[in-house]
Amino acid sequence: MNAEDDLPIGERLAHWVEHLTHVLPAQAPIRDFVHHNTLHGFQQLPFAEALSAASALTGATAWWPEAKFRECLASGRICADDLNAALDDFGVADLDAPVIRALSRRDVLLASLLAGNDAPDASRLDWLRRETALADDFIFGHFFRLTVAMPAAADAQPWQALAQARWAELCGRVGKAWTWRSLLEHLSGEDVLERVRSILQRHLAAHLDLGVAAWRNPAQRLGFFAAWRASAGFDLAWEMDELPNVRDEILHLPDSPLDVLLEELPRLVADESLWPGYLQRLSLELPGWSGMFLWRERHPGRGDGTPVAMLDYLAVRVLLERLLSDDLLRRLTGGPLPLADLPEHYAARPEEFLVRDALHQAWLPEELQGRAAGLVDQARHEHVDAEDWRHLAAAIAPAMLGAQAANAAWQLASLSRQLGLTPVDLETLSGEEVAALQACAGSLRAEQRSQIWLLAYERHYRQQLFAALTANHSRQAAPATPSAQVVMCMDDREEGTRRHLEEIAPDIVTYGAVGFFGVPIYWQGVDDAGKTALCPVVVRPTQLVCEQGVAGAEIEQEQRAARRERRLHWRERFYQATRRRAVAGPILTALGSLPALAALTAATLAPGWFAETARRWREQYDGRLATRLVLTAERKIEATPEQPQLGLTDSEQIKYVEEFLRMIGLTAHFAPLILMLGHGSGSSNNPHLSAYDCGACSGKHGGPNARIFAAMANRPEVRAGLAQRGLLIPESTWFVAAEHNTCDDGVEWYDLDTVPERFHAALDTLLAQVGEACRAHAAERCRRLASAPVRPTPWKARQHMLGRASDISQARPELGHANNAAAFIGRREMSRGLFLDRRVFLISYDPTGDDDGAIVEDILLAAGPVGAGIALEYYFSTVDNERFGCGSKITHNITGLFGVMEGADSDLRTGLPWQMVEIHEPMRLLVVVEQTTERLTAILNRQPPLQELINNEWIVLAAKSPSTAAIQLYCPRRGWLPWTGSSVLPQVAHSADWFAGESEALAPAIILGGVR
Amino acid sequence: MIPLLANLPEWIWLVPVLPLVAVVINAARVLLGTATGDAAEPLTARLSSLAAFGGLALMLAIDALALIDAPPGHLRLAHWFGNGNWEATFSFMLDPLSLTLGTLTALIGWLVIRFSANYLHREAGFHRFFIGLSFFLAGIQIVLLAGNGLLAFVGWEMCGVSSFLLIGYAWHRPVATGNALFAFITNRGGDAGFLLALGLAATWLGGFEWTLLSKASQISVVNDRLLVVGFVIAALAKSAQLPFSAWITKALEGPTPSSAIFYGAVMVHAGVYLMLRLEPLLVQVPDVMFGLVVAGALTAIYAWLCGLVQTDVKSALIFATLFQVSLMFVAIGLGWTTLALVHLCLHAGWRVWQFLIAPSWLVVTRERPPPPPAWLRNNQLLYTAALQRFWLDKLADTLFVQPTASFSRDAHAFEEHFIDHAIGQPGQGKAVHADRPLVVADGLPGRLLAWASDVLQRIEYRLLLRGKGGTAEKLMHRAGAYLRTLENLLEQPRYLMMAVMATFVVIL
Repeated sequence: MNAEDDLPIGERLAHWVEHLTHVLPAQAPIRDFVHHNTLHGFQQLPFAEALSAASALTGATAWWPEAKFRECLASGRICADDLNAALDDFGVADLDAPVIRALSRRDVLLASLLAGNDAPDASRLDWLRRETALADDFIFGHFFRLTVAMPAAADAQPWQALAQARWAELCGRVGKAWTWRSLLEHLSGEDVLERVRSILQRHLAAHLDLGVAAWRNPAQRLGFFAAWRASAGFDLAWEMDELPNVRDEILHLPDSPLDVLLEELPRLVADESLWPGYLQRLSLELPGWSGMFLWRERHPGRGDGTPVAMLDYLAVRVLLERLLSDDLLRRLTGGPLPLADLPEHYAARPEEFLVRDALHQAWLPEELQGRAAGLVDQARHEHVDAEDWRHLAAAIAPAMLGAQAANAAWQLASLSRQLGLTPVDLETLSGEEVAALQACAGSLRAEQRSQIWLLAYERHYRQQLFAALTANHSRQAAPATPSAQVVMCMDDREEGTRRHLEEIAPDIVTYGAVGFFGVPIYWQGVDDAGKTALCPVVVRPTQLVCEQGVAGAEIEQEQRAARRERRLHWRERFYQATRRRAVAGPILTALGSLPALAALTAATLAPGWFAETARRWREQYDGRLATRLVLTAERKIEATPEQPQLGLTDSEQIKYVEEFLRMIGLTAHFAPLILMLGHGSGSSNNPHLSAYDCGACSGKHGGPNARIFAAMANRPEVRAGLAQRGLLIPESTWFVAAEHNTCDDGVEWYDLDTVPERFHAALDTLLAQVGEACRAHAAERCRRLASAPVRPTPWKARQHMLGRASDISQARPELGHANNAAAFIGRREMSRGLFLDRRVFLISYDPTGDDDGAIVEDILLAAGPVGAGIALEYYFSTVDNERFGCGSKITHNITGLFGVMEGADSDLRTGLPWQMVEIHEPMRLLVVVEQTTERLTAILNRQPPLQELINNEWIVLAAKSPSTAAIQLYCPRRGWLPWTGSSVLPQVAHSADWFAGESEALAPAIILGGVR
Repeated sequence: MIPLLANLPEWIWLVPVLPLVAVVINAARVLLGTATGDAAEPLTARLSSLAAFGGLALMLAIDALALIDAPPGHLRLAHWFGNGNWEATFSFMLDPLSLTLGTLTALIGWLVIRFSANYLHREAGFHRFFIGLSFFLAGIQIVLLAGNGLLAFVGWEMCGVSSFLLIGYAWHRPVATGNALFAFITNRGGDAGFLLALGLAATWLGGFEWTLLSKASQISVVNDRLLVVGFVIAALAKSAQLPFSAWITKALEGPTPSSAIFYGAVMVHAGVYLMLRLEPLLVQVPDVMFGLVVAGALTAIYAWLCGLVQTDVKSALIFATLFQVSLMFVAIGLGWTTLALVHLCLHAGWRVWQFLIAPSWLVVTRERPPPPPAWLRNNQLLYTAALQRFWLDKLADTLFVQPTASFSRDAHAFEEHFIDHAIGQPGQGKAVHADRPLVVADGLPGRLLAWASDVLQRIEYRLLLRGKGGTAEKLMHRAGAYLRTLENLLEQPRYLMMAVMATFVVIL
């Protein structure tokens, strides 16, 4: 009895709902897609444990399948050394203890990992025996004789007892890993969930809808439970589904969802202590819908005012589960039977259970499978005699025992082949030795094996990366008088842009930082209807910056706004009225048809040209408008996120600029031009659009932040304030801002007309250099896209990217963060001149000016969760795209403007689509910090959020010494481990020489042209 | 050059055949295992797209000829089969109706195929999808261009099959396969009507040509009505009008481009085309036309109400489509066929665009559409009915799908319990006689064979193996003695001469 049990049931339910926030997907409506750790609710557990727990709870696979890792081994992506080291890293005990003869535990485990722990099912084994040389295979035959002999002695039990034990085990799962629905599905092959979903899904979508449906449930204001009940009372489907008594039950339901739960839960599970587990399981059966419902409950301000309460949902869900399970149970057993009596029912009929259970087992031979399926199907329509069940059960029972022997023999045979045992060795192996071999190989659970493979997989890349950093250490050099300094987002995609820019202009210095450039604000562009937060999703800004037409252009601005509004209004009218209006619909359809057909033809044949033309037409119609920021507030006011202060005061501006420049280590040697380059992604016909945008700006474009930063830093008042604080930015320095479109590799420059004339020459050069770098970057991106030209010239590549970004048929406008793998926090010199294949987040930080580690502490706190969120979301969406990801885009269907379904009747799909992750290498983020281990240990000791991430191994931490080439890897178990290894790297003149003709992920290389 | 151009309409058969060639080649590549990996995709997509473009170019050329000169009209290319009373032909109809719709379909088909090449990149079912899509394109062009009902029916079925294949594209999802089956079975109701009408046409009119059908005034009004009703049922089913509407709302499980071309733009209009084609026949039976108005109007109300409550974009669009298609039926029922044709073409053009950019819905719309009038808004019963789509899918399931499933189950049981036993299965044999366990047999033929072998064996046993003293042996010995005597006699010269002479006599 713990304290919680004494609370009133209402509060306990609230606690259970609170707990659901940890296990259900926490994805916001899809317009604001922000990357986060899919298993964020398990983050308090160590990585491997959390993954096992999540697998047990959700049924998902949290690692790549072993077969995939073995393919990597065959292709050289993992090598034997990595696997060996992974065994040590994992901490398997007594690795060098002998198991049998000269074979140590390490040898046996390695062989077992290589051999795999899966055996073919009965049908395949049968086929192998008939069609291949397996029947004559000496090793398999030998072990088969051994293992067939073994269980006979051990299992003298009759099959009835085995079946009853298994049934008791399955019944024990209910309320923990299973619901009644899972148990009934196991028995009958019929899934109650399919019906529950199709009953529930329309009501749920109608209740949560954010703007597709014109007509809402009249009872919607009363909450989901009341709305559902009002509709369900009129629903004729109950009668059609032969559930006539359901309507009566619904009509007599209590008014409060809490009472419904209290009435229904005991009918499902008598044991009160199992209720939270049962509710959790139940919610997880439709994770997408449950998660969205809970999210809306937790964020009432982000909805449309409809009351959303998780208890409503749970009440309906529990009620439907009980009603439909009752019905299925009645059909299954041929008479009314309370759910609680189900265990007894089959305990008394082991023969029927054995047949029904065997149908799901891989060991069941094909012929018996057919008979079992036939009998189960027959039982669905008519009565089947107990004698028939018994007859078949008696036939199945021997197969059950035989299959175990075959499995064990198969595994032993592959193991001994890996170990290189000769037939002579085998002949002399005693029974105990075989058992020892079997026990040792089987000592690792499936999750542990997967984790070891993952460690090996990560280690291989880590070795390459550490070798690269070590090799590059001696090449570190910064241009003494840079021609420009370019500050970009830390985003892994910008690694490519930065590298190309440095190759093209070796006298440019680049910096990377969290992409909101330290300016957490609400933004309202001249065309925006409302404000959007441009900062990490955990921050709630209190300042608003608006964009306005330049002084004197008020009339133009008004005209433009009116024209734009008219255009958008008509566009919306075309799309909405043609589906909604009875009279206007056909007329607008007729009017819109020919332009639509023309647009489709043009967009199909020449997407780039068409998009450009359409953009120009739009601009011509709306009218051009030069804009300025409303940046400066006269005085500070008490502001809240709801009522933000308009503009920033001088002192706030000084603070933001100073903190940011100090964070990236840009405090002296200012170049004439400093470019703040934000980023965003523009693609067409893509519901997951915002998943490609800047994660540090809550899945929005980071351009406005760059523009605001540059405008602040150029103000004389701010410069003066900075000078007072010891940060002297000379008159000869000017800040410019731009936004990089990561999809089409274009750059939009801001406020170029305000740049003083003395900078024009330098600006011209910079514009050309950035443009050239983007084109070179586009050429690099082409290598990973199957529909892109092979070995394109930069110009051609950029043309392709332009077309790709505006192609409505393109399911992969860009590849996003796919293949992100590591983060470097340190000076750019550490990685400048390395080809890192757009896989590394680059965060600028100068350890020399940070004696107490305060700056790196802030960076770790800000960038750590962002990077981990991206890497882990990609990880989970890759390893199990069906459960953690949202499957293929091509059948996606936007629902209620908050998510996507597959087709028109499915769970709400969360996570990343398969098209975004198909080429991703699932690894945890490796964070390399240029700082001493002492300081990092100190930071780790005082920061619980970092302890959670790093000590629980959600990210991997390494330290590169600021002064030497030494690298140490942090292991939560063993502390800092110095890295040693070869640091010889291929060297090429330019990036293009390294990636030309390659389409797979590439190892690091030294780019000679990147460093002057 | 000129004669070649003038003969261009004779090549109209290429329009449906080109996509079929693409289907055959791509299917062969899949079967032979050469269509795997990224490298095989462009060829599949290009073949399909080239075939579609070939059709489009040919259609445009024929259109141009028709504009300069006159539409070629009904073209009879070859005899297919037939008997004394009726004949089926390969004939095409190239009048303004068919040419317009054929060209529009060719254009939309080509664009959608081009769209799909990028959209389906690296999908497991990439080649399967293009095979299905090209097959559909061939089918729908046969429907639109065929000069007779029988050929159109072939196309009609091709559309049905490809629709089934593409709804079930994600075959690992039970919802997708279930809905594919649902759509397929409900559509067979329409086929029954089509077949009935064709049978009646063969009996009463002696052929299936559209030109012949339009002259149906010779037959009595009662017969005429029956004929038309068959076609009307087919049209209502294909265009998902009441009472068949449920299937189309379940058909959205396939990839977006297939939803666009099948249910948004082209196939859903096939029923309207059929009605337009049969206009001369229709006008003779005003009561059937009234029936069309009623069916259309009811569907319009149904689709409009359901459309108001839809929360996902594809369902919302499909009800919108259904609404406007039902207006076309109303127009045809009222005799405004030109309006219906114009509406059809314009609607197809708009809807294919709207379906294809359905993933952009988040961008193109900003606010919730205005709610319906207050009297409707607060009606809980109507709301529930609209949300549950007037329970049509459940009804159709109970009335069409379940009986079909039961029937097939019965057929299966019959086969399993009777036919299988009668025919027998390998490896299932039982000993025929308890004392001869080696002779095993199953099924009628098996038993028959066992019986025959039993008889033969008995004969053999009695004749030869029974050994000394049997009747057979005595008879054989006696026969042997006669033969020996005959041989001895023949060896003597006089009998030899007699034999030679007898031979000559026979020869001469």
